[in-house]
Amino acid sequence: MILENKSQEETTLNTNKKNNTPLSISLINIIPLFLWVLFIGNIMYALYFFPTIPEWSKGTILKINGFTILIWTTVTFFSAIVSSYAKTYLQGFKYHTKFMLLCIGFTLSVMLLVTSNHVLLLLFSWLMMGGFMSYLIGVDSEWGEAREALKFTFRYFLTGSLFLSSGLLLLAYESGTFTISKIILILENLPQHIVFISALCIIIAAFIQSAIYPFHRWLLSSMTSPTPASALMHAGFVNGSGILLALFSTLIFTSNTLNILLIVGGLTAIIAQFTKLLQVNVKQKLACSTIAQMGFMIMQCGLGYFNAAIVHLILHGFYKAYLFLSSGEEIAHSKPRTPLEIKIRPLQAVIVILFGALGAALFVLLTGKGTQIDSSIFLTLIVAITVGQVTYNIVKERSLSISQKIILPPLLFFLGIGTYAMLYNAVTLMLADMPMIAVPLPLSSLQIVFGIIFLAGFFIMKLGFYRKIPWLYVKLLNLSQPYKKSILFYKSNF
Amino acid sequence: MNQQNILKSIEEASKIFGKTWPLYSFVTSNPLSGYEKSPFKVALRHAKKLLNARVFPEATLYRQAWEKGEIAKENILHLLKQNGLTNTPEFYLRQLESQVPTEKKNSFHSLDRIMVKWLSAFMDEGLAEWDMPGKEKGFYDAWRSLALYDDELVILKNTDIPKTSSEALAHVLKDYIKDDYIEILVCHLAALPGWTGYIKHRSESNSLWQQKYPINIKDYLAVRLYVAQQLKIQILPQNDELKKNGSIELLQYLWLKAWEKSWQDQLIHNLEKESNEIKNIQPIVKSPDAQMVFCIDTRSELIRRHVETKGNYETFGYAGFFGIAMDYKDLNNGLSRKSCPPIVSSSYQVSEIPQEKKIEKVLAYKKKNKIFKFGEFFLSRMKNMLPSAFGYVEGSGFFYGLSILARTLVPGYFYKFKIKNTPSFERICEPKINRLTVDDSNYGIPLDEKVAIVKSAFELTGWKYFSPLVLFIGHGSHSANNPFGSSLDCGACAASPGRHNARMLAKLANLSEVRKALLNQYKIIIPYTTVFVGAEHNTTTDKIEIFDTEVPNSHQKLLFQINSDLFKAQKTATQDRLGVEKNSISKAQKKANNWGETRPEWGLAKNAGFIIGPRELTKNVNLYSRCFLHSYDWEMDTEGTALESILQGPMVVTQWINNHYYFSTVDNENFGGGTKITHNITGKFGVVQGNGGDLKMGLPLQSIRQTDNKMYHQPLRLTVLVQAPLDRVQKILLQNEHLKTLLDNEWIYLLVMEPLKQNVVMRYENGMEWIPTKEKRFDENKYRSEIELITLDGNLV
Repeated sequence: MILENKSQEETTLNTNKKNNTPLSISLINIIPLFLWVLFIGNIMYALYFFPTIPEWSKGTILKINGFTILIWTTVTFFSAIVSSYAKTYLQGFKYHTKFMLLCIGFTLSVMLLVTSNHVLLLLFSWLMMGGFMSYLIGVDSEWGEAREALKFTFRYFLTGSLFLSSGLLLLAYESGTFTISKIILILENLPQHIVFISALCIIIAAFIQSAIYPFHRWLLSSMTSPTPASALMHAGFVNGSGILLALFSTLIFTSNTLNILLIVGGLTAIIAQFTKLLQVNVKQKLACSTIAQMGFMIMQCGLGYFNAAIVHLILHGFYKAYLFLSSGEEIAHSKPRTPLEIKIRPLQAVIVILFGALGAALFVLLTGKGTQIDSSIFLTLIVAITVGQVTYNIVKERSLSISQKIILPPLLFFLGIGTYAMLYNAVTLMLADMPMIAVPLPLSSLQIVFGIIFLAGFFIMKLGFYRKIPWLYVKLLNLSQPYKKSILFYKSNF
Repeated sequence: MNQQNILKSIEEASKIFGKTWPLYSFVTSNPLSGYEKSPFKVALRHAKKLLNARVFPEATLYRQAWEKGEIAKENILHLLKQNGLTNTPEFYLRQLESQVPTEKKNSFHSLDRIMVKWLSAFMDEGLAEWDMPGKEKGFYDAWRSLALYDDELVILKNTDIPKTSSEALAHVLKDYIKDDYIEILVCHLAALPGWTGYIKHRSESNSLWQQKYPINIKDYLAVRLYVAQQLKIQILPQNDELKKNGSIELLQYLWLKAWEKSWQDQLIHNLEKESNEIKNIQPIVKSPDAQMVFCIDTRSELIRRHVETKGNYETFGYAGFFGIAMDYKDLNNGLSRKSCPPIVSSSYQVSEIPQEKKIEKVLAYKKKNKIFKFGEFFLSRMKNMLPSAFGYVEGSGFFYGLSILARTLVPGYFYKFKIKNTPSFERICEPKINRLTVDDSNYGIPLDEKVAIVKSAFELTGWKYFSPLVLFIGHGSHSANNPFGSSLDCGACAASPGRHNARMLAKLANLSEVRKALLNQYKIIIPYTTVFVGAEHNTTTDKIEIFDTEVPNSHQKLLFQINSDLFKAQKTATQDRLGVEKNSISKAQKKANNWGETRPEWGLAKNAGFIIGPRELTKNVNLYSRCFLHSYDWEMDTEGTALESILQGPMVVTQWINNHYYFSTVDNENFGGGTKITHNITGKFGVVQGNGGDLKMGLPLQSIRQTDNKMYHQPLRLTVLVQAPLDRVQKILLQNEHLKTLLDNEWIYLLVMEPLKQNVVMRYENGMEWIPTKEKRFDENKYRSEIELITLDGNLV
């Protein structure tokens, strides 16, 4: 029939030639289901035993504890969401099945990573994670630029794995054991330079994974992956560093490398946040934001709060996965903006400061951070400034009534800080059996200098000074360009 | 003067490029509109060479059509034979399949990349918080003052760069002879055709962004050629060996023609059968309970079929801007946008004013809207600023987690929730029409213009009598997380939803002074019991929403009946469209709101025909949403003026839509949008693929393909079928050279159903020749007998 007598949807599900074998169709349907079951199983298990998750180990190879279950729950949540989304989103994509398999491969490697108690197993799973992610970036192998991006990102991940291998094998060699939990116990007995070198190697591996400056370019070149893969990358893969650093927190303390984390993480957070401001492509903008957030997470580690970093990676995962999955919503008809006026009346300023202080107090009360004068004071300071900014924007808004202006800020910060504290405390409880996971550091002059740099960044941004520095614009623009060969490198020829 | 030569060459060179429309008002236009004055085949050959694009359907589409029987064997055999090709169709199809595209390195790689970097930074429409410094000086000057810092170029002082774009061009081109200019310029505009098209769009539409941050083709070329010189790139293209493949091209063309011919044969077969049956049945004169006017859009065909079977209703097809050449000013953001065909220049602006006694509600609505906008602003501030970005993520992360769960697991439920909670102003406001030039005035427009608008609606559609309720039904699409959302809205309204045009026309037709004038001047009698109402057909869910606040009590019962019939129609229409028996409405709603859905609906895919004639002609034929339908009654249009307007306006719009679908289908990467799954939104107005590149100018893969490889839209050129006396059509073509050119150049086909000669269908052929088509049975596998040629004398009229 020429006029087409079938309904429009006909056989959309039966996709195409490569995909229409019954096996691929059932894989596309089963994988999300499997991941949901895995997630539900994990969360039930965690809730049942909460707060003391029983520790289980299989010889010197595998180990399951609260941290394992926490990461398992997180990663299965994200992959279940992403695979459900991808089930419809990628309908008809010729590599749909391949995508789903890579997704599950990635999930299993993360799960294996946090279960590994053997150095080689950990290295293997770390490499697999990178491999699966690269293949997700280049999943469309018929697309030249995607293949270039695959090769480019894989070089980063391979380098990361090499650094991690050097660091861990050095430790294993020196300590004479491949069992991670044993290595950690005898770190103090190892020569200081060995500990330092291997810590450095592990830190570099972590930086590469999280696209921390100067290893950021792979993340900005990874948009050849389908949107749900980006969601998985930004909510799962980049968090590898937080996981790695938490696993080896003792090593970081023993090697005295916390300040490296603080400096590099903090600088990355500031630079990337400025770079984000000038991005005109939505996915690059989100990538810059991820780099900044990862910088912040590393900085939290540098302040001795590895548990806060874990909480951050989970919450950032929710946030970034949402923004990627809805990244098609950014089309809008708009008009050029007029610059904002930065003026505040005294009464408004008083309210801003008052609420900022109240927010900080609530944060201290609920999380126990910042009760002493130590490194946690920075985290409290950030909460205070955030609450201050919430209040500032609300009290200045003309369309809100006086009562709305008074009620909204506390309502928002109660909700925000409340849910954060809930998760923070839960995570801290689940990580209770891990050593050196939340150790406030005495306040050092370096930290104070850094706090001041952060505040300076805040004011430069707030007052818009950066707009008057054209060379900075161009430098940051070039800094955030994707890998050359991953755009406009090929042309088709008919 | 060399300067003038350059300017002239630029003008000449940019003429052949189409425009790229922003995705917030995605007009489906012909990407080769610059070539419409050349024959289809010639245009295709040029475009192929220039843009490195595929211009005919790829072999796999022919294969699929062939295997489904969409290409009749007799047609392809005939065409092959005519061209001296004597082997079997299968043989030639295999020959086509052996053509495999290759991949080559982009010789302008660095240059293109650097240009994309600057163009996207400059042309951003508010996605970035930090604008490119010096943007207000225009593209060339802004770039000039930043180039110094760009370490991809070696520029020591910015005074080294020529002061103006004209000087830069003269500087670069001085080593070339005048005759090479055009070739150089065309080649460089063709390197990134999507961005070139958007520069053209911006400079021609003179949007608010363009007014504040001007850019034009000359500035772009100046920067591009200057950078090329700095990078030591050969700017005059080397004539690399072109794949000379005349015989393949011919085969591709013949297969296309055979496919089109087969579709036409089937259409004619169905319609002739129908028209023969009509003749035998005398229509029962029973005035319908209500009349509904839908857009000519192909999607209306489906819903009209379903509405008509639910009660005593008469439906019409009319261009969905309802004859009002207007811009619409959105109450929510105060921005004005075009809401009539892009080929028509707007004369009016329609805005919203409060209905009587609802001023307070409107104020409350506006306030709510302001707070909502503040919410958006608030979130972007929190996300952008240091260090609140970090605190914000931690405080809000949990709630994002909950939203992810809800949107992934229960999108359908969310849709109902969203619809219920989205305030709509249609129930508290009414549209007001003003002249476009007098901004925000309250003068309105003169009575005779109002009358003319209303009159054309009835005149063009061949209206005979009025029911108590007449619905003007615009259409709009509702989809989530869809950058191409506006491509599913009304094409006749420049990709806006048509509801406001419909409401406006209803309001004008209800005015007593308009009715009086219609009666006195044109003898159009509208009973005082007749009420006109605006409505919207939601093409994703097939729900029809009636903006009924002003329907008098006397009509409430009827209105209730209509609403319940429309609900039944929604149910069967969605069953038909989605191919499911149960829960078809909630399935459609889920599609409308699922953020992972890349094919919320099919838009105008599969369009292939445009039928101009009364509904009786098509009423009992299932056209499977493949035809645009414009109501027309040749008996009432004695002068042929209505037909002339239809051919000048709606036909050209449908041709654009059809060509857009054609090109997006034959080369989805170059003319279309590529696959949605790797789209990256740029500047709030467009998409690029992956990490960046050329701005995408057409429909995405998911709008035209069932899967990556499986066809959905059949790329066929539009077949226009008119029921009218042949001499009338001929006269119109003679008076409208550009319509004749479109036909002679084969951008569209024209069939005329001659009512004076037993509805025989005549086919237009190059140079005003008409060939009668005979009804042929389809399953006959015999060779088609030699077509009898009848040449009508051009002076017949």
